[in-house]
Amino acid sequence: MKRFVPILLVLFLFTACEKEPNTDDLDDNFLVYTDYDKTEDFGSFTKFYIPDSILLISDSKEAQYWKDDNALRIIEACVDNMEERGYQRVDKKDQADLGIQMSYVEDTHYFTGYSDPYWWWDYPGYWYPGYWGNWGGWYYPYRVVYSYNVGSLLTELISLEVNETTTNTKKLSVIWDAYMTGLLSSSHRINTELAITAVNQAFIQSPYLKK
Amino acid sequence: MKRVKNIWTKAVLFVALCLAFPFGMKAQDVSDSFFHIDWQFNVPLNNKFAGVASGWGMNFEGGYYFTEHFGVGAFIAYHTNNEYISMRTIQMTDHSAVTMDQQHSVFQLPFGASLRYRFIPGNMFEPYVALKLGAEYARMSSYYNVYKSKDDDWGFTTSPEVGMTIYPTSNHNFGFHVALYYSYATNKSKVLTYKVDGLNNFGFRLGVTF
Repeated sequence: MKRFVPILLVLFLFTACEKEPNTDDLDDNFLVYTDYDKTEDFGSFTKFYIPDSILLISDSKEAQYWKDDNALRIIEACVDNMEERGYQRVDKKDQADLGIQMSYVEDTHYFTGYSDPYWWWDYPGYWYPGYWGNWGGWYYPYRVVYSYNVGSLLTELISLEVNETTTNTKKLSVIWDAYMTGLLSSSHRINTELAITAVNQAFIQSPYLKK
Repeated sequence: MKRVKNIWTKAVLFVALCLAFPFGMKAQDVSDSFFHIDWQFNVPLNNKFAGVASGWGMNFEGGYYFTEHFGVGAFIAYHTNNEYISMRTIQMTDHSAVTMDQQHSVFQLPFGASLRYRFIPGNMFEPYVALKLGAEYARMSSYYNVYKSKDDDWGFTTSPEVGMTIYPTSNHNFGFHVALYYSYATNKSKVLTYKVDGLNNFGFRLGVTF
């Protein structure tokens, strides 16, 4: 067996000769990934509620929210798309049968080593089920496979149709989610435009999401 | 001006004589071994992943002629072919989709044994035919945004080749090497929604021989 060691070493050295493509040629737009619950009838929903801020996921132990004009423009892009699809925005959560929660990841390194795809549920200040009413937690009706990186925007659509219980045992269903990620520039304006473009693309590639 | 033209005429004649004169002439030595170091240009044939031709590869080969015409040897080569895939929406599953552009890349590393037959031993120009058999390590990768997905696999490879060694000196200690090849490898890989089942290539090699 030892006689094969030099051969393997040579092969290993040759693998280092791979010419990697120039990733500078890649587009600056965010990657947009969407997933949804196929069993859900999106036409059965009417009203949606969306908070006026985006949760910032960072190293901070306290929940932080992004509320400036850039955040509002991104939220507005989501609202515009929802309304174009026939849904009506409402000001009170208890009037809505759909909830939208948006989160933004600022620091990749904080999450290195997490293997559980649902790690963000434990993030301090993450959209707790109680925010939407008397719920016992979250669940995804489909397999979640994404991970996070610098400059990642997560948008989740939650079904609020299920009747609440007093025992906190029922779970809210995340029926659609969009994961948008990309390298950020030093310009907040450009980053905001990238995020808005990504939100629009998330709806474009989700034609089933309509009243 | 006329003098310049004369110099060019003489130079062209000299090169033509150098190329033509050795044909049919026997050199003094018949080499019983060979070693090539080549740059290679590889053209993927009907490969559905990273199918753009490129010159990102090399070939190393050495061997011994156990008769005047027949030789055996060993080879190792590597090559990378890349292809840019423009922005598009890909259906990942029946309920998920992703929009992105990509850089596709296939890296091939074949190695093994070769059998060759040379036609005019000892000539300045030694044409030959060869058949190579061996194993191939191949890795297909997709680069998108800040991510990379890859899959690698081992397969069997075979490659017929025609070529020629060109010895400018009579002792055959040093020369040039040109070759045309076709290769097929049985490697199978899957990256994202892209599948590869077999790698077909043809190309040419230019190098030196010792």
